[in-house]
Amino acid sequence: MKLLARTNRYYILFSVITFAIVTGSFYVVVEYLIYEEVDKRLEVERKDFEHFIETHGYWDESCYFVEDKIDLKAVANDLKRSPYFHDTVLYNRYSKEPDPFREYKFINQFSGQAYEVSIRKSLIESNQLLKFITTVMLIALGIGLLLLYWFQKTISQKIWRPFYDTLSKAKTFDVNQGKGLTLPRDDIHEFTELNSSLTKMTAKIADDYRNLKEFTENASHEIQTPLALINSRVEGLIQAKDMSDENMRWIQDIHESTMRLSRLNQALLLLTKIENGQFHDKEQVNVSRMVETRISEMEEIFTHKSISVEQKTGSPFIIGIHPVLAEVLVTNLLSNAVRHNLPQGGKLVVESTSVSLTVANTGPALTISADELFERFKKQNPGSGSLGLGLAIVKKICTAYQLDINYKFTSGLHSLLITRLQG
Amino acid sequence: MKVLIVEDEHILADGIANHLGKDGFLTEVVYTYDDAAEKIHLYSYDCVIVDINLPDGVGFNLVEALRTIRSTAGIITISARNAVEDKIKSLDIGSDDYLTKPFHLSELNARVKSLLRRRNFSGANEITFEEIRINFNSRKIYVHNQEVILSRKEYDLLMFFISNQDIALTKSSMAEHLWGDHIDSSDSFDILYSHIKNLRKKLADKGCTDYIQSIYGIGYKFGKP
Repeated sequence: MKLLARTNRYYILFSVITFAIVTGSFYVVVEYLIYEEVDKRLEVERKDFEHFIETHGYWDESCYFVEDKIDLKAVANDLKRSPYFHDTVLYNRYSKEPDPFREYKFINQFSGQAYEVSIRKSLIESNQLLKFITTVMLIALGIGLLLLYWFQKTISQKIWRPFYDTLSKAKTFDVNQGKGLTLPRDDIHEFTELNSSLTKMTAKIADDYRNLKEFTENASHEIQTPLALINSRVEGLIQAKDMSDENMRWIQDIHESTMRLSRLNQALLLLTKIENGQFHDKEQVNVSRMVETRISEMEEIFTHKSISVEQKTGSPFIIGIHPVLAEVLVTNLLSNAVRHNLPQGGKLVVESTSVSLTVANTGPALTISADELFERFKKQNPGSGSLGLGLAIVKKICTAYQLDINYKFTSGLHSLLITRLQG
Repeated sequence: MKVLIVEDEHILADGIANHLGKDGFLTEVVYTYDDAAEKIHLYSYDCVIVDINLPDGVGFNLVEALRTIRSTAGIITISARNAVEDKIKSLDIGSDDYLTKPFHLSELNARVKSLLRRRNFSGANEITFEEIRINFNSRKIYVHNQEVILSRKEYDLLMFFISNQDIALTKSSMAEHLWGDHIDSSDSFDILYSHIKNLRKKLADKGCTDYIQSIYGIGYKFGKP
């Protein structure tokens, strides 16, 4: 929920409650005042009535003919009841409609008979007054609230503008641009503080990132160069004619170790680069087609190890990924499936759907736990020539591009399932 | 054939020069950007090997300078930075080939020769080694003027041998030349072995002398026995 929407919502809720309470209490107060007034007048009329009785000793209804105002009812003599007010409804003699009345009942005795006297007063006018006052009040309050709401909204939009500016700039921050954000100062102290800490933070991030990138590139350069030197010298030695077989073998060992060191360096650098997010270009890559191409390139190996390849291509698996990393992903998955396959007569199954890619292979049971499969330098066969980084790189690539990777062992097949997590 | 080597690491530069020199190339070595810039303006070369990272400049600029002066030299950039960007950039600005350090000298040798063959359109498109004749436009091989049908990999292997005559080639350099580094060494050596066996057999069938010598523990050497 947006910040302004949230404050507006609270504001509206609060206003409506206040509005209801104010209107309600106003109504109650006005009604109370009206009843007070009506009751006082009824009491005065009672005095008039009693005065009439005292003077004349009887009651002449003809004096009051306008409304059903005074009504007498003979009751038992001993009835004692204190006078009381209450609301009642009487039918209008002419319009035959119920009209609200206020009634005042009390006991009076004259001519040796006790009467229950009811004096009534119509509430129509008072009610109309009440309605009118309440309506005016409602309208006035409503307009006031609307104005306040509009005012509050405009003010908060104005006040929060720098915040939204900062937010939109922060969203465009790209660590690859190599520099932090530049944010303006503001009249509001908090926003100035926010902007200055954001400026500092992004500058630091950009700086760290650049340093890290430089370090990886330097490390790569500084290690690859001496390796290249060693190799060129070793190759020179290989050309020598007067070496004993044993020396030659040593040289060959040195040669292979340097090549391995170089591959290791490159693999670790690749991991670091993926972690640093240095592969930021994304393209829609048809991974299924890439797998097909790679499989046809690896034909010789499959023939050599007599691995039968089964490709179940449904819909192509297309993901947004850096093309080089897609290549690495596919190569590593397939090399892994070949390396850990049966020595002869194994099977390799590749299955693709629009949301997933499965690479499965036959092979001996795992010697490491399935959880360790994607860890660095965890090798199925410690003595093998493998670097032990292939699947770690695969995992890193998957994580970097919101892909999920899972290992399963079913019906003699080790399968790695890559699924797209979203979009 | 004149080759200019621009590489700040003296040992590596001399190693390259030495290796190419054995194959009859006239090599010149410079260790700095400035020297290289001077040389390419003064003399003309058939091939220039440029390291991208130089102490006093960036190799890319040399490539651009060579293209600006419309030099006919073939250019191979070498770099320790394995960054894809470097590779793409060098090819973009006009390099003919790109190699990542560390590389096998025999691989560089093969690339230089292949580059020179490609550039040299006006000249012959055939190489002859004793009774073997290779037409690299049609990719056909003749022994005693009879065609030998080779698979793609066998052809590549023979070309690698021809480019590196009398040089001991390690199995790993050959495997890398044929398959890149996307293949397990133990597998690739086996496949390499069977390719060599087939190549030998196909050549021998047409009455060719066996020029491929095995070197114990190392690999192979191609040349007159």
